Amino acid sequence: MSLVNFTTREITCKIVYYGPGRSGKTTNLQYVYGRVPEDRRGRMVSLATETERTLFFDFLPLELGSISGFTTRFHLYTVPGQVYYNSTRKLVLQGADGVVFVADSQARQLDQNIESMQNLQANLLELDEDARSMPLVFQYNKQDLPSDLILTPEELDQALNFWGVPSFPSDALRGEGVFETLRAVSELVLRRLSQEAPA
Amino acid sequence: MESGARLTLLMTPAGQVLAQYGFTRAVDVMAAAALGAAIFSSTTEIAKMLKEREFAALNHEGLQHGIFLGSFDTRRGRLLALVVYGPDSSLGLVQLFFEDLVAKLIAASPEKVEQKPVLAADFERELTQSLASLFGR
Repeated sequence: MSLVNFTTREITCKIVYYGPGRSGKTTNLQYVYGRVPEDRRGRMVSLATETERTLFFDFLPLELGSISGFTTRFHLYTVPGQVYYNSTRKLVLQGADGVVFVADSQARQLDQNIESMQNLQANLLELDEDARSMPLVFQYNKQDLPSDLILTPEELDQALNFWGVPSFPSDALRGEGVFETLRAVSELVLRRLSQEAPA
Repeated sequence: MESGARLTLLMTPAGQVLAQYGFTRAVDVMAAAALGAAIFSSTTEIAKMLKEREFAALNHEGLQHGIFLGSFDTRRGRLLALVVYGPDSSLGLVQLFFEDLVAKLIAASPEKVEQKPVLAADFERELTQSLASLFGR
């Protein structure tokens, strides 16, 4: 949950990038890290294996600026996508304020996307979080691949996006759709926080 | 600090920093907190697998520095403390002052959440401005 510190007038929100292995979660964070001005971001930490697969998480702190007198920060995390890392995936998901589900648009990866989405719901349930009220955004990555290899955003919406939440086609390597996705989830998280507060 | 600690971070189990004390410029505070929370979460899960009570505190000692991680419950939920100490201190000394810190924090933690308005004034305008300024669109 968001941390609101009234003494220092700071808000810290946690956004988790979820999705199957090799869908492009780390690539999203690397692109954001490379494009955000230095004074608005902290050090990116990656706990990865020797072959650059995420072992535990990637972490990137971002500073959004001041909203209603509060310095607002986002902590971006990725989870390890590989199936057998579920215990660490659940740990990273703990305390999340918003989730970006990064799906692999390749048609042959559809089952992995669905399995990962089911895993997200199961893990949220175990953490006593209601998946329906969690700010969630879909990103359909690798839309730059040849059209005969991938599903369209509409097809992926039909297969994964049951709740009709915002979704974005992307090519995370080149940055297309990366900031649009992050902006959308940031907005959802802060709107939820403002709605939870008494007027 | 009498314990000889170089840096002390107080944080939530999700790795969000609540308070910090010491030479914070020498360490990336937010990254250290995220990593500290991760270490603690991992060992707690291993303890569960072993049907063991969770490890209340962890210690790692290097040549120049040691890190101590301890958890404790307050009326407002669980908190973690990450303490970095140097060769002029010791684990025993850090533990002694950690127990003192825990007792004081538990005594000071308020019972009820006092509701105050968050993000009310100028919310829409400042949200739009901040998002545009960071994401450039």
